Amino acid sequence: MEVSHSVKERTIAENSLVILLQGLRGHVTTVDLRDESTATGRITNVDAFMNVRLAEVTFTDRQGTVSCLDELFVTGRNVRYVHIPDEVDIRATIEQQLQAIHRVRYFGGRDKGRKEFPRAKHK
Amino acid sequence: GGAMSFLKRFPPPAEGVRHRQPDTEAVLAGRSLGAGTLYIAESRLSWLENSGVGFSLDYPTISLHAVSRDLSAYPCEHLYVMVNAKFEEEGTKEAPMAEGEEEEDSDDDVEPIAEFRFVPSDKSALEAMFSAMCECQALHPDPDDEDSDNDYEGEEYDVEARELEQGDIPSFYTYEEGLSHLTAEGQATLERLEGMLAQSVSSQYNMAGVRTEDSIREFEDGMEVDIAPVVAGQFEDAEVDH
Repeated sequence: MEVSHSVKERTIAENSLVILLQGLRGHVTTVDLRDESTATGRITNVDAFMNVRLAEVTFTDRQGTVSCLDELFVTGRNVRYVHIPDEVDIRATIEQQLQAIHRVRYFGGRDKGRKEFPRAKHK
Repeated sequence: GGAMSFLKRFPPPAEGVRHRQPDTEAVLAGRSLGAGTLYIAESRLSWLENSGVGFSLDYPTISLHAVSRDLSAYPCEHLYVMVNAKFEEEGTKEAPMAEGEEEEDSDDDVEPIAEFRFVPSDKSALEAMFSAMCECQALHPDPDDEDSDNDYEGEEYDVEARELEQGDIPSFYTYEEGLSHLTAEGQATLERLEGMLAQSVSSQYNMAGVRTEDSIREFEDGMEVDIAPVVAGQFEDAEVDH
Protein backbone atom coordinates (compact mmCIF):
# COMPACT_ATOMS: atom_id res chain seq x y z
CA MET A 1 0.00 0.00 0.00
CA GLU A 2 1.71 3.15 -1.12
CA VAL A 3 1.32 6.55 0.48
CA SER A 4 2.69 9.90 -0.51
CA HIS A 5 6.16 10.90 0.64
CA SER A 6 4.88 14.37 1.40
CA VAL A 7 3.71 15.26 4.89
CA LYS A 8 1.29 17.79 3.52
CA GLU A 9 -0.18 15.38 1.00
CA ARG A 10 -0.65 12.68 3.62
CA THR A 11 -2.54 15.13 5.80
CA ILE A 12 -4.73 16.30 2.96
CA ALA A 13 -5.51 12.72 1.96
CA GLU A 14 -6.24 11.68 5.51
CA ASN A 15 -8.82 14.40 5.81
CA SER A 16 -10.66 14.02 2.54
CA LEU A 17 -12.16 11.39 0.33
CA VAL A 18 -9.13 11.60 -1.94
CA ILE A 19 -7.95 8.83 0.33
CA LEU A 20 -10.58 6.59 -1.20
CA LEU A 21 -9.40 7.39 -4.73
CA GLN A 22 -5.84 6.65 -3.72
CA GLY A 23 -6.99 3.23 -2.63
CA LEU A 24 -8.19 2.56 -6.17
CA ARG A 25 -4.65 2.22 -7.46
CA GLY A 26 -4.52 -0.77 -9.79
CA HIS A 27 -8.25 -0.81 -10.45
CA VAL A 28 -9.79 -0.15 -13.83
CA THR A 29 -12.40 2.51 -13.70
CA THR A 30 -13.95 5.45 -15.52
CA VAL A 31 -13.20 9.07 -14.82
CA ASP A 32 -15.65 11.68 -16.05
CA LEU A 33 -13.98 14.95 -16.93
CA ARG A 34 -15.30 18.43 -16.52
CA ASP A 35 -15.65 18.94 -20.24
CA GLU A 36 -17.87 15.86 -20.60
CA SER A 37 -15.17 13.60 -21.97
CA THR A 38 -14.50 10.31 -20.21
CA ALA A 39 -11.46 8.18 -19.64
CA THR A 40 -11.55 4.50 -18.75
CA GLY A 41 -8.31 2.94 -17.66
CA ARG A 42 -6.27 1.51 -14.82
CA ILE A 43 -5.52 3.99 -12.06
CA THR A 44 -1.79 4.18 -11.43
CA ASN A 45 -1.82 7.16 -9.09
CA VAL A 46 -4.02 9.74 -7.44
CA ASP A 47 -2.36 12.52 -5.50
CA ALA A 48 -3.73 14.76 -2.77
CA PHE A 49 -4.81 17.34 -5.34
CA MET A 50 -6.90 14.70 -7.10
CA ASN A 51 -4.62 14.63 -10.12
CA VAL A 52 -5.34 11.22 -11.62
CA ARG A 53 -2.88 9.15 -13.62
CA LEU A 54 -4.28 6.31 -15.70
CA ALA A 55 -2.76 3.65 -17.94
CA GLU A 56 -4.19 1.79 -20.95
CA VAL A 57 -6.92 4.32 -21.42
CA THR A 58 -9.92 4.40 -23.68
CA PHE A 59 -10.63 8.07 -24.06
CA THR A 60 -13.91 9.41 -25.38
CA ASP A 61 -13.73 13.10 -26.09
CA ARG A 62 -16.61 15.51 -25.76
CA GLN A 63 -17.57 14.98 -29.37
CA GLY A 64 -17.73 11.24 -28.82
CA THR A 65 -14.56 10.33 -30.68
CA VAL A 66 -12.86 7.32 -29.14
CA SER A 67 -9.12 6.84 -29.01
CA CYS A 68 -6.59 4.89 -27.00
CA LEU A 69 -3.99 6.50 -24.82
CA ASP A 70 -1.09 4.64 -23.27
CA GLU A 71 -1.03 6.95 -20.29
CA LEU A 72 -3.19 9.84 -19.24
CA PHE A 73 -2.81 12.48 -16.53
CA VAL A 74 -5.89 14.51 -15.67
CA THR A 75 -5.54 17.49 -13.39
CA GLY A 76 -7.73 17.40 -10.30
CA ARG A 77 -9.49 20.54 -11.40
CA ASN A 78 -10.78 18.74 -14.46
CA VAL A 79 -12.03 15.64 -12.73
CA ARG A 80 -15.77 15.74 -12.33
CA TYR A 81 -16.40 12.21 -11.17
CA VAL A 82 -14.52 9.03 -10.48
CA HIS A 83 -16.58 5.87 -10.74
CA ILE A 84 -15.90 3.46 -7.89
CA PRO A 85 -15.72 -0.06 -9.28
CA ASP A 86 -18.34 -2.46 -7.95
CA GLU A 87 -15.74 -4.83 -6.58
CA VAL A 88 -14.27 -2.18 -4.32
CA ASP A 89 -15.22 -2.26 -0.65
CA ILE A 90 -15.24 1.44 0.11
CA ARG A 91 -14.94 1.26 3.88
CA ALA A 92 -12.17 -1.32 3.81
CA THR A 93 -10.24 0.69 1.22
CA ILE A 94 -10.40 3.84 3.32
CA GLU A 95 -9.31 1.96 6.44
CA GLN A 96 -6.37 0.36 4.64
CA GLN A 97 -5.20 3.73 3.35
CA LEU A 98 -5.45 5.28 6.80
CA GLN A 99 -3.46 2.42 8.27
CA ALA A 100 -0.79 2.89 5.63
CA ILE A 101 -0.50 6.57 6.51
CA HIS A 102 -0.26 5.79 10.20
CA ARG A 103 2.44 3.20 9.58
CA VAL A 104 4.50 5.86 7.84
CA ARG A 105 3.83 8.42 10.51
CA TYR A 106 4.81 6.18 13.40
CA PHE A 107 7.65 4.42 11.65
CA GLY A 108 10.45 3.69 14.05
CA GLY A 109 8.36 3.62 17.15
CA ARG A 110 6.45 6.09 19.26
CA ASP A 111 9.25 8.45 20.08
CA LYS A 112 10.64 8.70 16.62
CA GLY A 113 7.53 9.86 14.84
CA ARG A 114 7.53 12.33 12.03
CA LYS A 115 6.12 15.78 12.02
CA GLU A 116 2.64 16.12 10.62
CA PHE A 117 0.19 18.96 10.19
CA PRO A 118 -2.53 19.47 12.74
CA ARG A 119 -5.61 17.53 11.87
CA ALA A 120 -8.83 19.16 10.86
CA LYS A 121 -11.56 18.97 13.47
CA HIS A 122 -12.83 15.51 14.15
CA LYS A 123 -16.46 14.97 13.37
CA GLY B 1 1.56 30.51 -44.77
CA GLY B 2 2.29 33.28 -42.26
CA ALA B 3 3.66 32.77 -38.80
CA MET B 4 1.19 32.31 -35.97
CA SER B 5 1.09 35.49 -33.95
CA PHE B 6 1.27 33.81 -30.58
CA LEU B 7 4.79 32.63 -31.39
CA LYS B 8 7.43 34.76 -29.72
CA ARG B 9 11.15 34.82 -29.46
CA PHE B 10 12.53 34.05 -26.01
CA PRO B 11 15.56 32.33 -24.54
CA PRO B 12 15.24 28.69 -23.65
CA PRO B 13 14.43 28.11 -19.98
CA ALA B 14 17.52 27.51 -17.88
CA GLU B 15 16.15 26.68 -14.46
CA GLY B 16 14.14 23.75 -13.24
CA VAL B 17 14.16 21.96 -16.58
CA ARG B 18 13.03 18.44 -15.78
CA HIS B 19 13.19 17.26 -19.37
CA ARG B 20 14.46 18.63 -22.63
CA GLN B 21 13.50 16.95 -25.88
CA PRO B 22 15.13 18.19 -29.06
CA ASP B 23 13.90 17.31 -32.52
CA THR B 24 10.28 17.59 -31.52
CA GLU B 25 7.54 18.79 -33.79
CA ALA B 26 4.75 20.86 -32.32
CA VAL B 27 1.27 20.60 -33.76
CA LEU B 28 -1.67 22.81 -32.87
CA ALA B 29 -5.15 21.67 -33.84
CA GLY B 30 -3.70 19.58 -36.61
CA ARG B 31 -1.38 22.26 -38.00
CA SER B 32 2.36 21.81 -37.70
CA LEU B 33 4.32 24.64 -36.14
CA GLY B 34 7.63 23.19 -37.24
CA ALA B 35 10.48 21.33 -35.63
CA GLY B 36 12.03 22.45 -32.38
CA THR B 37 12.83 21.59 -28.80
CA LEU B 38 10.39 20.92 -26.00
CA TYR B 39 11.34 22.11 -22.52
CA ILE B 40 9.44 20.63 -19.63
CA ALA B 41 10.36 23.00 -16.82
CA GLU B 42 8.94 23.36 -13.36
CA SER B 43 7.62 26.84 -14.04
CA ARG B 44 6.10 26.28 -17.46
CA LEU B 45 6.08 24.13 -20.56
CA SER B 46 7.93 25.71 -23.47
CA TRP B 47 8.56 24.82 -27.06
CA LEU B 48 11.06 26.64 -29.25
CA GLU B 49 11.29 26.14 -32.96
CA ASN B 50 14.81 25.76 -34.32
CA SER B 51 14.55 29.33 -35.61
CA GLY B 52 14.18 30.61 -32.06
CA VAL B 53 10.49 31.47 -31.84
CA GLY B 54 8.06 29.49 -29.79
CA PHE B 55 5.50 29.57 -27.04
CA SER B 56 4.98 28.64 -23.43
CA LEU B 57 2.09 27.05 -21.60
CA ASP B 58 1.37 27.53 -17.92
CA TYR B 59 0.55 24.37 -16.03
CA PRO B 60 -2.65 25.71 -14.43
CA THR B 61 -4.04 26.08 -17.96
CA ILE B 62 -3.26 22.49 -18.89
CA SER B 63 -6.26 20.23 -18.35
CA LEU B 64 -4.59 16.97 -19.16
CA HIS B 65 -1.71 15.37 -21.00
CA ALA B 66 -1.22 11.89 -22.41
CA VAL B 67 0.96 9.55 -24.40
CA SER B 68 -0.77 8.55 -27.58
CA ARG B 69 0.45 5.55 -29.55
CA ASP B 70 -2.86 4.91 -31.26
CA LEU B 71 -1.94 5.41 -34.91
CA SER B 72 -5.56 5.21 -36.00
CA ALA B 73 -6.28 8.33 -33.99
CA TYR B 74 -3.19 10.23 -35.10
CA PRO B 75 -0.49 8.94 -37.46
CA CYS B 76 2.46 9.54 -35.13
CA GLU B 77 3.18 8.61 -31.53
CA HIS B 78 3.14 11.79 -29.52
CA LEU B 79 2.60 13.65 -26.28
CA TYR B 80 -0.88 15.12 -26.27
CA VAL B 81 -1.56 18.26 -24.24
CA MET B 82 -5.00 19.78 -23.80
CA VAL B 83 -5.00 23.42 -22.79
CA ASN B 84 -7.87 25.40 -21.36
CA ALA B 85 -7.27 28.43 -23.55
CA LYS B 86 -7.70 29.68 -27.07
CA PHE B 87 -4.75 29.99 -29.37
CA GLU B 88 -4.99 31.89 -32.55
CA GLU B 89 -4.68 29.69 -35.54
CA GLU B 90 -3.57 30.63 -38.98
CA GLY B 91 -6.44 31.96 -41.06
CA THR B 92 -8.99 32.45 -38.29
CA LYS B 93 -10.31 35.81 -37.28
CA GLU B 94 -8.70 37.37 -34.26
CA ALA B 95 -11.79 39.05 -32.88
CA PRO B 96 -14.16 36.47 -31.44
CA MET B 97 -17.01 38.93 -31.44
CA ALA B 98 -17.75 38.96 -35.15
CA GLU B 99 -21.50 38.61 -35.47
CA GLY B 100 -22.94 35.75 -37.38
CA GLU B 101 -19.59 34.08 -37.73
CA GLU B 102 -19.46 32.00 -34.56
CA GLU B 103 -17.78 28.65 -34.93
CA GLU B 104 -19.93 25.74 -33.99
CA ASP B 105 -18.35 25.13 -30.61
CA SER B 106 -17.71 28.66 -29.45
CA ASP B 107 -20.68 28.73 -27.11
CA ASP B 108 -20.32 30.88 -24.06
CA ASP B 109 -20.98 27.78 -21.98
CA VAL B 110 -18.20 25.72 -23.45
CA GLU B 111 -14.72 26.38 -22.24
CA PRO B 112 -12.09 27.03 -24.85
CA ILE B 113 -9.72 24.22 -25.51
CA ALA B 114 -6.60 23.96 -27.60
CA GLU B 115 -5.04 20.66 -28.51
CA PHE B 116 -1.29 20.47 -28.82
CA ARG B 117 0.69 17.47 -29.92
CA PHE B 118 4.41 17.19 -29.39
CA VAL B 119 5.92 14.62 -31.71
CA PRO B 120 9.48 13.67 -30.79
CA SER B 121 11.60 11.98 -33.40
CA ASP B 122 12.74 9.70 -30.59
CA LYS B 123 9.57 7.81 -29.65
CA SER B 124 11.23 6.10 -26.71
CA ALA B 125 11.38 9.47 -24.98
CA LEU B 126 7.61 9.71 -24.62
CA GLU B 127 7.53 8.00 -21.22
CA ALA B 128 10.09 10.38 -19.77
CA MET B 129 8.32 13.37 -21.28
CA PHE B 130 5.01 12.23 -19.83
CA SER B 131 6.46 11.63 -16.36
CA ALA B 132 8.28 14.95 -16.32
CA MET B 133 5.01 16.67 -17.12
CA CYS B 134 3.21 14.80 -14.34
CA GLU B 135 5.84 15.96 -11.85
CA CYS B 136 5.66 19.56 -12.98
CA GLN B 137 1.88 19.57 -13.07
CA ALA B 138 1.80 18.37 -9.47
CA LEU B 139 3.80 21.45 -8.51
CA HIS B 140 0.89 23.63 -9.55
CA PRO B 141 -2.20 22.60 -7.64
CA ASP B 142 -5.38 24.45 -8.40
CA PRO B 143 -5.41 27.72 -6.49
CA ASP B 144 -9.12 28.17 -7.13
CA ASP B 145 -10.05 24.99 -5.36
CA GLU B 146 -12.80 26.19 -3.06
CA ASP B 147 -14.40 22.88 -2.31
CA SER B 148 -11.54 21.25 -0.54
CA ASP B 149 -10.30 21.86 2.92
CA ASN B 150 -6.66 21.70 2.00
CA ASP B 151 -5.52 24.75 3.86
CA TYR B 152 -3.50 23.78 6.84
CA GLU B 153 -2.64 27.05 8.42
CA GLY B 154 -1.26 25.61 11.57
CA GLU B 155 2.41 24.95 11.71
CA GLU B 156 3.66 21.46 11.35
CA TYR B 157 3.56 20.01 14.79
CA ASP B 158 5.79 17.45 16.28
CA VAL B 159 3.80 14.28 16.80
CA GLU B 160 6.22 13.31 19.51
CA ALA B 161 5.83 16.57 21.41
CA ARG B 162 2.06 16.37 21.18
CA GLU B 163 2.18 12.95 22.78
CA LEU B 164 4.37 14.27 25.58
CA GLU B 165 1.53 16.55 26.57
CA GLN B 166 -0.32 13.46 27.50
CA GLY B 167 2.23 12.67 30.18
CA ASP B 168 4.26 10.04 28.45
CA ILE B 169 7.85 9.27 29.22
CA PRO B 170 9.90 12.19 27.99
CA SER B 171 12.28 11.57 25.17
CA PHE B 172 14.27 14.73 25.67
CA TYR B 173 15.76 16.32 28.78
CA THR B 174 16.46 19.79 30.03
CA TYR B 175 20.06 20.41 31.01
CA GLU B 176 19.56 19.66 34.69
CA GLU B 177 17.47 16.59 34.06
CA GLY B 178 20.00 15.41 31.55
CA LEU B 179 22.88 15.72 33.96
CA SER B 180 21.06 13.72 36.56
CA HIS B 181 20.44 10.95 34.03
CA LEU B 182 24.07 10.51 33.14
CA THR B 183 25.70 7.26 34.09
CA ALA B 184 29.03 7.37 35.84
CA GLU B 185 30.70 6.78 32.51
CA GLY B 186 28.72 9.55 30.89
CA GLN B 187 29.61 11.88 33.71
CA ALA B 188 33.30 11.13 33.28
CA THR B 189 33.10 11.72 29.56
CA LEU B 190 31.38 15.03 30.10
CA GLU B 191 34.04 16.17 32.54
CA ARG B 192 36.83 15.14 30.23
CA LEU B 193 35.32 16.99 27.29
CA GLU B 194 34.72 20.08 29.35
CA GLY B 195 38.29 19.95 30.56
CA MET B 196 39.60 19.77 27.02
CA LEU B 197 37.40 22.67 26.06
CA ALA B 198 38.56 24.76 28.99
CA GLN B 199 42.21 24.12 28.14
CA SER B 200 41.89 25.25 24.55
CA VAL B 201 39.89 28.24 25.61
CA SER B 202 42.12 29.50 28.37
CA SER B 203 45.30 29.17 26.34
CA GLN B 204 44.21 31.88 24.01
CA TYR B 205 41.21 34.09 24.37
CA ASN B 206 37.63 33.65 25.32
CA MET B 207 35.45 32.51 22.49
CA ALA B 208 32.13 34.27 22.53
CA GLY B 209 29.54 32.23 24.26
CA VAL B 210 31.84 29.51 25.47
CA ARG B 211 32.31 29.38 29.19
CA THR B 212 33.13 26.47 31.34
CA GLU B 213 33.56 26.23 35.08
CA ASP B 214 37.31 25.98 34.58
CA SER B 215 37.66 29.03 32.41
CA ILE B 216 35.74 31.13 34.89
CA ARG B 217 38.00 29.99 37.72
CA GLU B 218 41.09 30.92 35.76
CA PHE B 219 40.02 34.51 35.62
CA GLU B 220 39.30 34.84 39.27
CA ASP B 221 42.15 37.28 39.60
CA GLY B 222 39.57 39.89 39.06
CA MET B 223 39.57 40.27 35.34
CA GLU B 224 36.06 40.27 34.10
CA VAL B 225 35.41 38.62 30.82
CA ASP B 226 32.16 39.18 29.02
CA ILE B 227 30.76 36.84 26.53
CA ALA B 228 30.43 39.70 24.12
CA PRO B 229 33.41 41.89 24.96
CA VAL B 230 32.76 45.55 24.33
CA VAL B 231 35.81 47.18 25.85
CA ALA B 232 36.58 50.41 24.14
CA GLY B 233 39.68 50.22 22.05
CA GLN B 234 40.32 46.57 22.75
CA PHE B 235 39.20 45.34 19.38
CA GLU B 236 39.79 48.38 17.32
CA ASP B 237 41.53 46.41 14.68
CA ALA B 238 38.91 43.74 14.41
CA GLU B 239 36.85 43.95 11.30
CA VAL B 240 34.31 41.40 12.28
CA ASP B 241 31.47 42.60 14.42
CA HIS B 242 30.12 40.03 16.83
